[in-house]
Formats: sequence, C-alpha cells, structure tokens
Amino acid sequence: MTMSEVKVIVRRNRPGTKGAEFCKWPEEPFEEMDSTLAVQQWIQQTIRRDPSNITAILTPPETQDEEVWKYEHLRQFCMELNGLAVKLQSECFPETCNQMTATEQWIFLCAAHKSPKECPAIDYTRHTLDGAACLLNSNKYFPSRVSIRESSLGKLGSVCRRVYRIFSHAYFHHKTLFDDFEASSHLCRRFTSFVMKYNLMSRDNLIVPNMEDGATDAPPAVTETASTPTTTTTTTKVTPVTGNTTESEA
Amino acid sequence: MDGDSINSPDRNGISKIRDLIRRQRQESDGGCDESSELDFVYDDADNYTNEISELYSYTEVPEFRKNLAAYDTVMERWGIPLQWQRLSPEVRKSVILRLLNHFELSSKALRAEAARAILYVAQGCWSEVQSEQEQQQWTRYNVTLLLKNGIFQAVVDLLCLEIESGPMAVRKPAVSLADSAELRVIFSILYTIVETIRTKSDDDTEEFEEQRKSFKAEIAQPVRDELLAVKLLNMVIKFCGGSAPHFPIKKVLLLLWKVVLFSLGGTCELRELKTQYRELAGLAPMKEDTLEVSRNMRAASPPASATDLLDAQNERRNIRPLRRSLMKQTSLDESAALDLEMGDQMEEEMKEIEERRAMEESGELPQPPSPRPLTPVPAKNKGLPWTPKVRQKDLDAFLENSRMKFVGFPIQGDRDTLAGLPAPIHEGVKVLKQHIYVSLSEWQMTREEELWRCPLSMQESDTESTAHGVEALYAAMLPNLPQYIIALLKILLAAAPTSKSKSESINIMADVLPEEMPMTVVQSMKLGIDVARHKEIIVKSISAIILLLLKHTKINHVYQFEFISQHLVFANCIPLVLKFFNQNITAYITAKNTIALADFPSCVLGEPPELTPESLELGEPQVYCWRNLFACINLLRILNKLTKWKHSRIMMLVVFKSAPILKRSLRVKQSLLQLYILKLLKMQTKYLGRQWRKANMKTMSAIYQKVRHRLTDDWAYGNDLDARPWDFQAEECALRAAVDRFNSRRYGEPSKILPDFEPVDHCITSVLGRPVHLTNTFREYYEVWLEQEVFKNPVNWDEVLSCPGYF
Repeated sequence: MTMSEVKVIVRRNRPGTKGAEFCKWPEEPFEEMDSTLAVQQWIQQTIRRDPSNITAILTPPETQDEEVWKYEHLRQFCMELNGLAVKLQSECFPETCNQMTATEQWIFLCAAHKSPKECPAIDYTRHTLDGAACLLNSNKYFPSRVSIRESSLGKLGSVCRRVYRIFSHAYFHHKTLFDDFEASSHLCRRFTSFVMKYNLMSRDNLIVPNMEDGATDAPPAVTETASTPTTTTTTTKVTPVTGNTTESEA
Repeated sequence: MDGDSINSPDRNGISKIRDLIRRQRQESDGGCDESSELDFVYDDADNYTNEISELYSYTEVPEFRKNLAAYDTVMERWGIPLQWQRLSPEVRKSVILRLLNHFELSSKALRAEAARAILYVAQGCWSEVQSEQEQQQWTRYNVTLLLKNGIFQAVVDLLCLEIESGPMAVRKPAVSLADSAELRVIFSILYTIVETIRTKSDDDTEEFEEQRKSFKAEIAQPVRDELLAVKLLNMVIKFCGGSAPHFPIKKVLLLLWKVVLFSLGGTCELRELKTQYRELAGLAPMKEDTLEVSRNMRAASPPASATDLLDAQNERRNIRPLRRSLMKQTSLDESAALDLEMGDQMEEEMKEIEERRAMEESGELPQPPSPRPLTPVPAKNKGLPWTPKVRQKDLDAFLENSRMKFVGFPIQGDRDTLAGLPAPIHEGVKVLKQHIYVSLSEWQMTREEELWRCPLSMQESDTESTAHGVEALYAAMLPNLPQYIIALLKILLAAAPTSKSKSESINIMADVLPEEMPMTVVQSMKLGIDVARHKEIIVKSISAIILLLLKHTKINHVYQFEFISQHLVFANCIPLVLKFFNQNITAYITAKNTIALADFPSCVLGEPPELTPESLELGEPQVYCWRNLFACINLLRILNKLTKWKHSRIMMLVVFKSAPILKRSLRVKQSLLQLYILKLLKMQTKYLGRQWRKANMKTMSAIYQKVRHRLTDDWAYGNDLDARPWDFQAEECALRAAVDRFNSRRYGEPSKILPDFEPVDHCITSVLGRPVHLTNTFREYYEVWLEQEVFKNPVNWDEVLSCPGYF
C-alpha cells in the first residue's frame, strides 16, 4: 500500500477491494491521463466528485472531440442505467407491467428483436440496455474510441430515444424507486441535460417533468396527449398507479 | 423510326424520295444522320425526375393527399404551424425526432400516420411549392435532414415489423392496392431517400458529398445481421412463394435495384474496380471500354432484313419480277415465317424502291456519284472500333497446329520455340503475341487452381477476398442464391409483355389494381396504361438488378459470376429473354405508357388535373421509351454474359432459334443495342449454316464492322461442327464442380475442406473432456472388459522406462 502511494497510483479496483474503498484514488488532471480510455476515466472522475453538478460533468475538456464526448457519455449512461434496471427488477414484473408504457397512451415496441414487438416493461429495459451495450461496443460501428465514424453517429440518437423510455417508465409507474435512484445518481436529470445539450432528442419527447434545468426559457411543451385534460400543474402528487398524464411543465 | 414518316399519307412523292435517298446515303455511308438514330445514352438509371415518378403508379395518386392530411393532423395536434418552409431548422428537427418516436409505438394507426407525415416531408412538402424544381430542392434538403436524424434506420426497422405483421391473417380472394398501404409508404420513403442521395447533381455541396459517402457505407452494413439488399431479396422470395401476395413488388424491386446500384456502384465504379483488380493481378490495363466505344459507334441502318432484300434486289435488278425475287429470298431465309409477319412494311418499302427505280431510269432522280453500294466513306475514327484480342489458349492452339503441320510433333507448354516453322508462321505468332489479352477471369481461374492445389502454402490475401461490398453481398446471398434467381426470373416472366395473363403463376398487379374497378372509359384507359407501365418498370428493374449482380461478381471473382450465371441458365433465363425479344420490339421500345399529367410531382402541383382522353396523350413527344430501351439492352447484355465462351449455351441460342428473333431486333436503330445483338449473332454464326450466312450478308458485314475481332477465330466461315461435339452436361458439370470447389473453399467450413490438415488437439483436458460415444454392449460388459483387458494384463511400467533407444 505504502509502496504504491509513493511510487505509482494504480487506479484499479482489485478483486477483494472493500466497498468503501471502491474507486478511492486521487484525482488526476485530464492532460495526464494517457490511456485510450482517458475520456471515460475523466467522466467517471467528475461524476464521483459530485454527481449533482451536471454542468461540470457535461462540460468537455478543451480540445475534446465532440463526437467521442457524446459517445463516451452515452456509454456511461447505459452503464449507470443498469443500476436502475437492477432496482426495477424487484418491483416491475411482466405480470404487472406487461407493456412498455410511460403515459398510458403510448405503448412502445421493443426494437431489440428481428422485427420489433411488444415486450413487458422489464424485458424492454433489459433488451434495450443489452442492445445498447452491444451496439456501443460493436467493433463494426464503433471500432475506435478516439474517433467516431460519421456513419455511426446516427445510432446515438436512437439509443438515447430508446433508453429514455426506461426513465419515463420508472417515473410514471415506479415513482418511489425512481426518486430514490434519482436522488443519489441524478441520472435522469443529467440525461435530460445531455440530450438537450446535444440535441439528440426532441424536447417534447422528454416527458419526465422537472428535469430540465434550462426549461424556463423554453415555451411550454405542447401536450401530445390531446385527449387528456387532466394535466395538472402540480406534478409532485403523481402516484405510480394512476400517474398517466403528466407532461413536462415549464 | 423514319419508316413512320414515310408512311404518312400527306407527304408528296418528292419528299418521299428525298427520304429514301437520304436513307440510301446513310446506308452506304455505313452510318446515318442523328435525326433517325435514336438519341439514347445508356446509363445506370434514367434521370432523377423519371426515376422518382416511376415509383408511384397512377392509381396511387389519390394517396398523396393522405400524406398531406397526416402531416397536417400531426402538426395541428402539436400546435406547430403547418408551413414547413417557414419553420426554423430547430423546429423541423424537433418534428422529425417526434415523428421518429412514433415509429416505435405499438399502435398501428399512429405508426402509419407518422410514416405518412415523414413521406410527405420526404416528398418535399409539395403543397407549399410552386414548381417541380422547387419541389426537388426541398426534397433534397429534407432528405438530408431525415438522414441526419436517423430516419432511414428507423424506417428499415419499421419495414421489418410490417413484413412480419402483414394483413394476411385473413386471406382475401383478390389483393388490391389497399392491402399494401403501410408497406408502400415505407418503401416510398426508403426509395426517395436512396434515390435522392444517390443522384449526383451539379450543385452538390461538399457536405452532401460527405453524406453520400457515409450513407453508402451505412447501406452496405447489415442491420440486425441482415443486409438490406438480402432482406429485400427475401421479400421477393416470399412474394413468389405466395405467402405474401400483398407485397408491393414493384417498389421492392425498384428499391432493391437502387440499393444494389448505390452500395456496389454503377458503370463508373465498375470500370475503376476492374482497373484496380487488373492492376492488383499484375495484368495489363484494359484496352477500351465497351460503353465508351459504342457511344461513338453509329447504328446500322436500315433494318437488316430489308437491307438484305435490297442487296438481293440490286444483284438481280431487271432480271425478274421483283415480287418473285422477294419470295425466293425469304424462302431461303430461315426467318421466313417471321419476316412474313412484317410483310406489310416490306411491301411499302418495295413499292418505294420500285418507284425510285422508275424515276432513276427516266433520269428524274439525281444519281448518286457511284453505283451502290458505295465504298464506306471513312468516318472520323477510321478503321475498326476495337483492338483485336487473342487469348493465350488461341495462341497455344495456333502453335500446336503449325507444329503438327510443319514439324510433326507438338511441344507441350512451349510458347517461344519457332524452330522448323516457316517465316509466315513466325510473323503470325508475332502478331498474335502482340494482341494477347489475359482477362481477369482467366487470371482468377488460374489463381483459384493454385490455391486449391496448395491449400497450406498459399493463402488468399485479404485484398483478394474482402475488398468490396459485393463480397459481403455474395456471401449473404449464397445460401439462398438459387431461390433468389428463380424468384426474379419468375417475376420477369410474369411481367414480360408476351406472357399471357392467364398463365401467370404470380399476380404482380396487386400494387396497381385499385379496390374498385374503373367505371368510365377514360378510367379504364388510364388503368390500362398504368398496368403496362407497371410491367415495364418491373422488367427494367429486374434486368438492371441481374446485370449489376453479374457485372460486379464477374470482376470480384469469376466463380461467383459463374455460380449466378449457372443458376440463371438452369432457371431458363436464355429462352426467357429470347421469348421477351420475340415480340414487336420496335413497338415495345417506342411504346408510350406514360401519362405526363399523372406523374409525380406534376399530379400534386397546382390543381388536380382533369383526365380526358386528350389529356392522357399530353406530354413531350418521345421517339423511344427510355426504360424499355434500357431494359432491352440490359437483357441482351445478360444474354451475352451468360453465353460468352460457353459452347453449350451458345448451342442453346441455336436450338431456341434465336437468330431470326435477334435479327428482327436489329431494326431498332441504337448502336449499343445493335452491338449486343451482333455479338450474340456472331457467336452462333458458325452453326447457322451457309444458307443463312449467304442470305444475311449485311448482318455479317455489320458484325465484321462493329464487333471485336478475335484473331484466329473463324466465326464467319468455320464449318467445324463435327469437330466439336457438344456435350451440354459435361461442360456444365465441369464448371459446376469448379464453382462448388471455390464456394466451399472460400465460404464453407474450413474443417470440411481439408480434414487431413486439421490441427491435432494436444490438450489433455480437452481431449478427455470430449464426449465419447460408447456402445450399449460395451456399457453392459464394461466390468468384464475391465477385468479381462486391464486387471488381468499386468503391465511392467519399469520396462517402458528402460526401453532401449526410447530416450
């Protein structure tokens, strides 16, 4: 232990590392990270420092290639979303949530199959995260983590779109669980800022309320569910059972 | 053709004669002026406007409004102003992303609505534009936008979904347009995107160029482990199998063609590839490009059969009554029956000739400077259009023959020794050597043989096997290739104008026929044109697909080409194409099955047109129909590709009596078309007999003049019919064996090819871990065996160690 502190800092969680000791190594300036995984390392380091400081997390170091930055962040999101998926497994069952819905109007198809089909919410979550992991690690589409192929860029948007539905499902159907998770990770908030910053999704599809920091300057989102007049301005009272129509509010 | 203008009744005699003289001159010049020759430039596809308008059948016209309505509904629901052109780029993007989100909804109605709205955007938001040009600009702009936001991928996903969940749960007696509504929208979006990006235009920005490149890469990538082209081919199979009669087959084929064309490349890329591959193989560069040379060539005129008659008549002038000489001539001709069909036209011509001769005799006619036929006045590019070629094989045969004749014994494998041969032979060998041309195919075959003989010491380099998109496509097509070929040919047969609608095994009309049959005369006229146009477009796309596949595989690896072509032959492609040409091909090429008013986008710009019998005829007059001429040339090229150097298949041409059919097609005055016909005639001339050659001297000289010469090839005079007994079976079987060997070497399981050279497994754990199959008897008597063979046989292990010479 003393040896490594003096000489080299090994930034690695060796087998047998205690939970408390996890990732407990001193920070490193971005310029000194010399591995090919520097961007990921940097992002994780900033998140560890303060997960709620989203601006800091999403601000790339200077001279950072934007496409790689987006890609690395999306990777990170998918990794952290697995945490939400694990939590969901204890509450979201195929019997109770037999369709992937957020607000009740829309049922989404699971795109992970040869031809898209309806899957229960938890299966959708697992399939989509698996699919995203496969895609983002695929040698064919993303052979390098230093530069991203032009033709693969379009894939990022579709991953975002599909992955976001996990947030919205958790929010509208497993509210307490979502709030717990969000309180510690700020993941949904960060994700929302991320897709807005890089324009990867339409603002109107971001239906989890009160997530946009910059929402104040935006016009109130048009409700896509025109048939539901029950939209309330107080979004805090939503219960998982009936919470069906809350749209993002200014 | 100018034959029509001659027939018009209001012409007076003099102008008729002028026409005639002009034609005579053209004939004797070996060419003709531009007005009579078809001003057709062969290309990979027609111009953008036509290619887009051919996507939609005329019965689909009312649906354009539905797209607009869907767009309006969506925009109104979201509270966004309807005017697309006035929206800011951000809002446009946001609309597209929101629509994209709808693609993954489970509700079919919402999905369909979103798809229609996207289609409307892809169509350039036509309700806001004033002109066709503006519509095209907006299409280009919008397509770029759609592509950037990943619409293409999403629509392909949607396609996967729709393929699986068609409306075929309930089988209906008659399938109509309504059954394929969703699929047609999807295909229209995909096709519009592909075609718009593919088409090069002068004002392409660099960014557009970039996007084209990346889209080209994307489209060649498999989606869910399946190439888009293969997915479409599978749809074709399904359609032919009858399990999905609602597939909009025309759109499937059009998209397939454009996807293959775009991802593999057209004429230009093919030429580059060939040059590159020849360079890699260390071969001399190509001598000339067929399309280039033929562009400068002039069409032979007038129609061959009439020409022959003129010749005959010139010889026998004033000897006997004209009519009888005609009869005599045709009776000599194998094509008598066919020519009689054209009797009327010939009679016209005969009359004119008689008239003219009468005038000549009375001195009224300005005499041409010398008696006909004139010696051809050399054109700009003097001499033969092609450099002659010789194959190595031909040189070897020549040497061997000469040696046998003068020396008395052959020297195997020697190409240089000229000892004992007379000087003219030396000269001959020199000339032959100058013109030797090793084709890429020959090189690949030799290489393949080497690879086969030395499987361990020689390895295929990466550039050889995985260089190009066609390799991936071929590998993906390989498992079902015969089915693909059969399905394509089946549809081609059903779409051929000569096939009877009753005998159609598959209904290719599902995506034209409306739900309700037309009531008025104009409506049914329109439907008639629509159906004919539909068939023509199908023929065009299939011919282009097959030709592209053949051309690309031929350059990539000759055995891939041979595999496809062999399946084409087995699926009766040769008689099918001949049957296709056994129609009035001039009429087919000049057919006008187009309603300019109903073409997209004219049909949606401005007021909806009132269709009257007159308005059906409106539009630019055209001398020929681009798509039909294109399809004909493609089919002839396919036929050429299949039969070149294949003795057994050339015999098929003879057996199916192709000569008269092909000769009749020579009437179309287009040099490229004629060139391919002449090539087909040239290869079978030997087998047609002296009589045929005598009666078709004009055609023979056209061949001499226009087709490449092969030195030492006595195509015109050879009578070595008996010398080469043909065995269809043996030749095809040998080829088949070579192709199979190639396929299994390159695409098969490595262990099956060389079982002896598999590495031996040394690892104890893996060897012991392998499941061993024991017989029941052994299991039963296992203990006995143990007792007898193991325990009762004491082994002195020390002896093993002390075994002399072991260590």
